[in-house]
Amino acid sequence: MRITQHPILEPKPGREVAFTFDGRTLVGREGEMVSSALFANGIRTFSRHRVGDAPQGIFCANGQCAQCTVLIDGLPMKSCITPLREGMEIKTLVHFPELPADDEPRQAHKPQELTCDVLVVGAGPSGITAAIELAEAGYSVILADDKDHLGGKLVLQTHKFFGSMADCYAGTRGTDIARILEQEARARKNITIMTDSVVAGVYADGKAGIYQPNEERYLLVSFRGVVVATGARERSLVFPGNDLPGVFGAGAFQTLVNRDLVRSSERVLIVGCGNVGLIAAYHALQAGINVVGLIDIAPRISGYRVHADKIKRMGVPIYLSHTLVSVQGEGKVEKATIAQVDEHWNPLLQTAKTFAVDTVLIAVGLSSVDEFYNAGVEAGFPVLKTGDANEIAEASSAMMGGRITGRQMARLLGSDLEIPQEWFEKAEILKSHPGQVFPRTHKWPAEEGWQPVIHCYQEIPCNPCTTVCPHNSIQLTGKTGTIMDLPEFSGKCIGCGMCVLICPGLAITLVRESHKDGLAELVLPYEFEHSFQPGDQVALRDVEGGDLGSGTVLSTRFSKKHRTHLLTIEVDAAIAARTAGILVQDPAVTEPLPEADLTYVPDNAIVCRCERVSVGEIKRFVQENEVTDLNQLKQIRAAMGACGGKTCLDLLPRVLMQAGVPKEAIRPATYRPLTVEIPMKALANQGGGKA
Amino acid sequence: MKNYDVIIVGAGSVGLPLAYRLAARGVSVGVIDELSSPGQGQNKAAIGGIRATHSDRAKIRIGIASLEFIRRLEPEFGQDVDYVEGGYLFPAYDEKIAEGLQSLLPYQKRHGLNIDWIGPEEVQEIVPGIRAEGLLGGTFSPEDGHLSSLKLAGAFYRLARQAGAEFHFETKVTGFDVANGRVTAVLTDKGSFGCGTVVNAAGGFGREVGQMIGADLPVYPDSHEAGVTEPIQPLFNPMLVDIAPDEHSDNYYFYQAKEGGIVFCITPRPKRMGTDRRSTSEFLPMVIPRMLSLYPRLRNIRVRRVWRGLYPMTPDGKPIVGFDRNVAGFFHAVGMCGQGLMLGPGLAEIVAAAIVDGEQPEEIFADLSPYRDFSGEELLK
Repeated sequence: MRITQHPILEPKPGREVAFTFDGRTLVGREGEMVSSALFANGIRTFSRHRVGDAPQGIFCANGQCAQCTVLIDGLPMKSCITPLREGMEIKTLVHFPELPADDEPRQAHKPQELTCDVLVVGAGPSGITAAIELAEAGYSVILADDKDHLGGKLVLQTHKFFGSMADCYAGTRGTDIARILEQEARARKNITIMTDSVVAGVYADGKAGIYQPNEERYLLVSFRGVVVATGARERSLVFPGNDLPGVFGAGAFQTLVNRDLVRSSERVLIVGCGNVGLIAAYHALQAGINVVGLIDIAPRISGYRVHADKIKRMGVPIYLSHTLVSVQGEGKVEKATIAQVDEHWNPLLQTAKTFAVDTVLIAVGLSSVDEFYNAGVEAGFPVLKTGDANEIAEASSAMMGGRITGRQMARLLGSDLEIPQEWFEKAEILKSHPGQVFPRTHKWPAEEGWQPVIHCYQEIPCNPCTTVCPHNSIQLTGKTGTIMDLPEFSGKCIGCGMCVLICPGLAITLVRESHKDGLAELVLPYEFEHSFQPGDQVALRDVEGGDLGSGTVLSTRFSKKHRTHLLTIEVDAAIAARTAGILVQDPAVTEPLPEADLTYVPDNAIVCRCERVSVGEIKRFVQENEVTDLNQLKQIRAAMGACGGKTCLDLLPRVLMQAGVPKEAIRPATYRPLTVEIPMKALANQGGGKA
Repeated sequence: MKNYDVIIVGAGSVGLPLAYRLAARGVSVGVIDELSSPGQGQNKAAIGGIRATHSDRAKIRIGIASLEFIRRLEPEFGQDVDYVEGGYLFPAYDEKIAEGLQSLLPYQKRHGLNIDWIGPEEVQEIVPGIRAEGLLGGTFSPEDGHLSSLKLAGAFYRLARQAGAEFHFETKVTGFDVANGRVTAVLTDKGSFGCGTVVNAAGGFGREVGQMIGADLPVYPDSHEAGVTEPIQPLFNPMLVDIAPDEHSDNYYFYQAKEGGIVFCITPRPKRMGTDRRSTSEFLPMVIPRMLSLYPRLRNIRVRRVWRGLYPMTPDGKPIVGFDRNVAGFFHAVGMCGQGLMLGPGLAEIVAAAIVDGEQPEEIFADLSPYRDFSGEELLK
């Protein structure tokens, strides 16, 4: 259940240690998150809820919800943020925990108070770049993050980045960008980096409370200003079976697979065809996990077309205008049923298909985590939000946005540092949604020797291919005059393959005429482990996955720098320019079951996961009490759980609308600290940390 | 113009039960509140303690009436408000505090309270794990209890609407029409509402509403912060109140709600005057060490959420209840001193009787008169 071979990632080292789960002795790696140690041992149910004794699986894998809570040495703890230690006694948490009879009084200590000019909350791409700009401007910065590393979600991004090479490391993998940014932050003396430090509240008196779980410590930070770079959280969906262990976010999946190298699943269905869903499908394939398909209720793909094309030709079907009808299983995900929708997005059940899957990944978008920003505005101190906390976009734009925000905060604090106008322009471009699609005809053969074929049809902010060509033969051509324009080849090609290796979309091939009649040689990028030998047959696919017959492997080579293989394949000359990739996944795995399973209860879908409040319960309460203010739903405990409404508050307005409440009448729920639960012993600083 | 017999300003701890009581008696009732839904002012900030254990006869009587009605909510009205009759326990580790608590007992008993002194063993039996060292005992009043303020507001809102009361939310009162010394209409940003009687149940903003007719009610809010933990298996039933002050705070109190979480609150010293309800960094470091010193076992429980609410205080710690002398038909029910939740249900019956039947028993209406001498101070706040 661990990923021991991965085309991009190195298997994690780590001492093997024994622990117990419900009395069974198991082995995990010291320091890995308990949730991953459990997943690696095939355990996907962590607790049983007091409502209906329902099994609970992991959901966010990000320390934000509390679905992965287990009992560790007698205490309830979130397994996804608790490092494994030798000898831990871990148990399924059954309903509410019992408080251990530990009655010895202990000395309490006041929280330590730290001071800085600017507290930057969140050390992802925008937080780090903001901190660097502030430090450069001479301000002291505390850069706090709840994880044990810097880089935020960059560390999950095994793919090469889009964007521009000059401004945001385009063509480099997210995991590598995280390392580069971390080094830059650590090189600056006036940045104090605090990892494993959860900002739990930003208070009206201009102080933030920070909880350090490993030290069992709570401290206060005084600041002049706050930069909120807390990123985003995954949005969820309301469908029957959405509470079963095995339904989780695509981000959670990337955490398990890419950060912890745990094979969380065998077969997944992905809901949502934005970039997150598309990339998750690719990451699944790289981890050796089957993807039965992606669905989206919209009639078109909202993510980058190159991402979608890439997974289509690898053998993953995409079902547009489809919805998830239900997920079924006894205590865990076993099946998922999808159906086409009509123009009102109602499922057409006669089109239903059921797939055997063990995991359903939700990738229906992100919402900004901006509670601290709102708290700061309310309190009236200088506060800015940046990156996904400000606006959901690619990490490339977050880096640019962070730099701008860093300088903006410096200016709020009195600096007269200028912000170059071009930064704003670049930030705008980097967060562009995909633009127009242009048809392309691939001329072939043009002349002797190699030439690239660029299967890039849609305007996206990306330019690495233009910067790596040693002969400058690839140029952006188009109307916008920005990196949104499409690349075109003209001029000399020496067949070096740099453009093929750097392209984040795997959308460039090289072709040349073979000395054999009617045949051609084709060079393809390949980001999977392989054991191809010369003479092997491979299934050729056009850009969108159309079958082009087969080709013969001539040779392979591996670029260590780009961690990408180049396959040279002999193909029919007639299809050489149209061939964009090879099939990776056996088409048989994407077949639905012979019969669609339509056994489900629509109103059973869970909206508030912490308190297990169902959509039916909420609708009834809303109608009986004419509820328009989400605060009223706290009476039935919606949004009253451990997570503080992080998932359900996003869903509740839609549920109210389904219950007949006009959108404009709906009032939001009041936000209150804390963002995470903190044990009293830490708040009282009684000592006893294990770190 | 919409007309009501009675318009209540404020859909909170006092206004909601009163709306029900009046409507149930056939009075046409309109309730006006500037917030979006019932109980969104101080009501939802109330931690949920319901007691008759006071040291003032009017408050004891109102408290007993509240408890009597709350006990009927589920069996008679089908309204589950998470009521637990767990009692109130004031433990003492200090001779002076023990003496002070004991000295109140004869008065409290005389006014009908079921309360007595219990020894340290009994305290430990009721609260397993409470600090044993130095424990002298405490007063225990088993007929007090606690409930969910959210659910209580919801219950009274439902009952009031079923009885015919109408609610106008997101409607801000801007003034009153007074003709020939009598209130005739409530003016709001959404238009005017004609009425025979107005009840000022505006809680933390009761003084401002009074000023609109020239009444100067001594209601000055201060604020307390509160919090709730994750739910755990049942541990103890009563509300624990430690009245021993420390360096930065006076009393603090906490209980385990029916839903499992521990709900807690503290009285900071000096008082924080004003209507600011934003959470501060001071609260948790102030209250948690005190709770752990009384109840070490709580060290492993996790705090989930914090908030802050207003205590609309009067100089003598007693509510202001009664008709205005200068504007006929204008009734004040304000200055609950942070006890609106526990006084509201009982007060509703008394205020309804005063408005409908003209009954104004002296032990309530003299003691709580808006025109009384405010120089006294209640011992048990």
